[in-house]
Amino acid sequence: MTDKNPCENGPDQKIGGPIDIHAYLGEFDDIPGTRVYTAKRARQGYHLNQFAMSLMKAENRERWKADERAYLDLWPMTEDQKLAVLARDYNRLLDLGGNIYFLAKVFSTDGLSFLQAVSTMTGMSVEDYQAMMIAGGRSPEGVRSIKANRDAEGAAVTKESR
Amino acid sequence: MARITHGIACSHIPALGVASDFDKWEDPYWKPIQEGFAPTRKWEAENLPDVVILVYNDHASAFDMKIIPTFAIGCGESYKPADEGWGPRAVPDVEGHPDLAWHIAQSLILDEFDMTIINEMDVDHGLTVPLSMVFGKPAKWPVKVIPLAVNVVTYPPPSGNRCWALGEAIARAVESFPEDLKVQVWGTGGMSHQLQGPRAGLINAEWDQMFLDKLSGDTQELRCIPHIEYLRETGSEGIEMVMWLIMRGALGKETRELRRFYHVPASNTAVGHIVLEPVNGAVPPSATVEGAASQHLAD
Repeated sequence: MTDKNPCENGPDQKIGGPIDIHAYLGEFDDIPGTRVYTAKRARQGYHLNQFAMSLMKAENRERWKADERAYLDLWPMTEDQKLAVLARDYNRLLDLGGNIYFLAKVFSTDGLSFLQAVSTMTGMSVEDYQAMMIAGGRSPEGVRSIKANRDAEGAAVTKESR
Repeated sequence: MARITHGIACSHIPALGVASDFDKWEDPYWKPIQEGFAPTRKWEAENLPDVVILVYNDHASAFDMKIIPTFAIGCGESYKPADEGWGPRAVPDVEGHPDLAWHIAQSLILDEFDMTIINEMDVDHGLTVPLSMVFGKPAKWPVKVIPLAVNVVTYPPPSGNRCWALGEAIARAVESFPEDLKVQVWGTGGMSHQLQGPRAGLINAEWDQMFLDKLSGDTQELRCIPHIEYLRETGSEGIEMVMWLIMRGALGKETRELRRFYHVPASNTAVGHIVLEPVNGAVPPSATVEGAASQHLAD
C-alpha cells in the first residue's frame, strides 16, 4: 500500500533515501560566510538565545538598558558570549551559538532594523549594503562552496605555473 | 464536505508588516510591492474561502529554545499578534477554526504525522504579514485561520519531501471533514534570503523563478531538493521555502498558476508570491491502516 518514495531515484539521493548524518552536517561547513544553526550550535548558545528571548518583555528591556552587564550576569552564559553581546559583534555571536532570530531581540531593543543589523555582519556600510540589495542583492556566484572555490583557485594556479 | 479551493504562497518579511502598519505603500521603495499584491487582493475578495490553513514559521516568538516542534497545529479559538520586541502589530486578532483544526490534527496523527497540538499561543509576523498582504487593513480578518507552524530555524528542519507528504495528508483530512467549507492552504516565507554572516544579502532570482515555475503542472521535482541546495543557492533563510511545499502537496496531482509576483528587495529578502488552483486535486491514499480506516468512515 505504501507508495514508492518519489525522491528515491530523484536527482539527488540525499533526502528520501538513507541519510548519512555526518555527511549531511559536514556539508554545512562548506558554505562561505554562513553559520548553519545546527544542534551543536543550539546547545552551545542555549542560554545566550534564552537571554535574548527575555528581551521580548518590556520590563526586561528596561532592566537590560539600565545595566547591560548586570543583566547579562543573571544568565549562565560564557564570558565570551557576554563580551560579544556587549560589543554587538553578531558574527562572533553566531560562532558562539547565537541564532539570528533570537539575536534580533537584542538589535530590536537597540532600535535597529533587520537590514541595519544584518549589514554589520557583512563588513559593508549600511548604505552600501542597502544599495547592493536594491541592485538585486548578493549574487550566489562564487559563494556557494568553499571547496569549489579552492578547487577553482588551485586549477587557476596550476594553469598559471604551466 | 470541506474542499481545498486554492493555494497561495507569500513571503512574510517583517518589513512588509511595517509598511502596511505605517501606511508606507506609496513610498517608491514599497509601491511596486503594493501594486504586485493589488490584483491578488481583488481576486481573493471574489474567491474568499471560509478557512485558511496558514503554514508559517515562528521566529522566536511563541516558541523559544525550550520547545521546538517540527510540525505544530493551532487548535485554539483565537490568537493574538505577538510582541516581538517592539510591541505587538496593530492588526486584528486571528480567529481560529477549532473544529476543523482538531479534525485535521486527529487525521494527521492517524496518518502517522505526529503533530504538536497548540491551544494557546501568540502569532508573529510569519503569520500576520501574509494576512496583511492578501487582505490589507480590515477591522477584522475576513477568514478563519488554522496556524500550522513548521520548524525551519533549528537544523534539521523537515525535508521538502516530508512537507509535500504532509500537504497530501492535510488534503485527505480536509476532504473527510463533513461540513461544507471552502479551504485555502497558504505557504509562507522565502524566497531567497540570508540574514546572517558575511554572505548576508544573498539573492538568487534565477533559482527562485525555477521554484515558482515548478509549483505548477504535475511535476514533483521540488519535493526532492535537499537542504544543502536551499542553503547554497537561496541563502541560509531560503530554507523557509519547504513550507511552500506543504501548500503545493495539499493541492494534489496537478495545479495551474493563476498569478505570480516576484520582486527584489524588501529589506534583505526576495518577495515571492503565487496563486495556484488545483487542476487534479487527487492525492495518494493514506499509507496507514488507521488513516485508511478513517478515510473509509468518512465515505
